[in-house]
Amino acid sequence: MPVYEYKDLLLNIIEQDSEYFGYFEAAKEHKLVVKKCLDCDLLRGEPGASCPWCSSMRSEWHEVSGKGTIYSYQIIPHAILPGFRDWTPYPVVLVELDEQSGKPLEHDGLRITANLLDENMNPEHEENVAIGKRVNVVFQDMENGLTLPQFTLSDEEPAGAIWRYPNT
Amino acid sequence: MESALKDKYSIVGIGETDYTRGSGRSTRALAIEAIRNAVTDAGLKMQDIDGMLSYHGGDSVNSSTLAYDMGAQLNFYMDCSGGGSSTEALIGLAIGAIEAGMCETVAIFRSMNGYSQVRIGGTGSRASTPVSGPGLMTRPYGLASAVQSFAFSFTRHMMEYGVTSEDLARVKVAHSNHASNNPKALMKQRVTVDDVVNSRWIVRPCAHLLDCCLETDNATCIIVTSAERAKDLKQQPVYIRAVQGRGTKPGGDFHYQHGPISRVAGHYVGPRIFDLADLSHDDIDVTGCYDAFTYTVVLQFEAYGFCKEGEGKDYIKSGIVNLGDKRPNNTSGGHLCEAYTHGMNMVIENTRQLRGIVDDYCPDWQNGNHTYDYSEGGCRQVRNVNTTMNMGWASPATGSALILRR
Ligand SMILES: [Zn+2]
Repeated sequence: MPVYEYKDLLLNIIEQDSEYFGYFEAAKEHKLVVKKCLDCDLLRGEPGASCPWCSSMRSEWHEVSGKGTIYSYQIIPHAILPGFRDWTPYPVVLVELDEQSGKPLEHDGLRITANLLDENMNPEHEENVAIGKRVNVVFQDMENGLTLPQFTLSDEEPAGAIWRYPNT
Repeated sequence: MESALKDKYSIVGIGETDYTRGSGRSTRALAIEAIRNAVTDAGLKMQDIDGMLSYHGGDSVNSSTLAYDMGAQLNFYMDCSGGGSSTEALIGLAIGAIEAGMCETVAIFRSMNGYSQVRIGGTGSRASTPVSGPGLMTRPYGLASAVQSFAFSFTRHMMEYGVTSEDLARVKVAHSNHASNNPKALMKQRVTVDDVVNSRWIVRPCAHLLDCCLETDNATCIIVTSAERAKDLKQQPVYIRAVQGRGTKPGGDFHYQHGPISRVAGHYVGPRIFDLADLSHDDIDVTGCYDAFTYTVVLQFEAYGFCKEGEGKDYIKSGIVNLGDKRPNNTSGGHLCEAYTHGMNMVIENTRQLRGIVDDYCPDWQNGNHTYDYSEGGCRQVRNVNTTMNMGWASPATGSALILRR
């Protein structure tokens, strides 16, 4: 049974976990995947056990580009989890992937939570974190075999205005 | 559609333990004390309770255990998994159980050593739990507490509508002013906007320490029975006009798929409860808005239509939520200042407001004589309260509501 230790957390990613096991298996091969419905072809942000639009239980893991835009963010200066204390203040970002943005409804999108890391896989400086900035997926490989999808700032120009809370 | 059960059920008893940080007692002992206080308040005996409902997060005591201590023979009980917004929902379920003929008088309780044992903030015994399922998408990224799990909605809302730390601080200021007139409140000290924005950051940019509620050891109880039976009991009955929820946003998710993520579940719960109650916002004299964080108040006033989307900060800044103004909010101080009870204390407070016997510092409050002087250490009874509303929050995606009448 795959149990990984990471930053003092025990992550139970078991084979019977049909919603999440494949996500982390793909990450080991440096692929970012989402679930794709085999009946209506729509992708979904949260893996889930059935399609929210057509209720089909038939799905496959579908590789996405790993490119996206920061949709929201938070900076955590006060870590609750002891293993994250040496990372503070660390950013956590909600990234909207390029695929299926604004579909099937206007405000829908495929959104993924991760840390925003710099080129050395350390937490990105707070002043560089902003809604609207472009990001790429990166894969954080651990010695114990676990790989976590993470994001890093891209060289691409943002499509629109960027925003971060002033003076923080 | 108007509810067929409008005003047919009542809250007849309310009770709580002291609000402390370090109860030194079991959740069983706390629960019994709160239930006993509510039973006494109603003019009932423990054995008159034949229905029980509770909610918990694996941190409490079961109804069947308490039945032993109460010497009660129960005809109905359920202990539900749930947090915020369960209070209102369980009041609805109590009505359903009585209406179905399963029982006559239901004690709803919540008991938690929320400071000294299981802390909702994510520290304490919860921090070391192995991670599986949906938690795999958040905890490995350092998200553990409630405010961290809600923060994407909060930050996005700040961007969309230009909300500032000072706007949020005004929620805490209002509730602290109210708590200064509440002998039960854990934090009676009045605070200023500067106090809040100068307290340490918990999550940037949406929560300083004083934007967060007070983890508390406590138990609370609310007793529901038919309006018919309520007439023979000790207190002036408070009528349950309508209840709605727990309801969710489409898909029930916080932010992974559906948007806008700054719009919360009250957007869907609100129209239904006003329909069921056959009332409008103008009829509401006092609100109880779940204040796990200052931000949940801003979002819920918008979602429930007390103001437009984006104008929650202006609604609070207008002063309408203050004692002495048109529609005071969280007159006990709520979760931010009285105690964190997972929503129970705000329904209890509204019940007291409707009875006209709020336990403030007025010398003769027990007889309903109030000074209506809202300065520090004074009165917190609102004049002429006919209708109150509670807005319960579990997350951006889940909420519930309750309208009570005198
Ligand atoms: Zn489908």
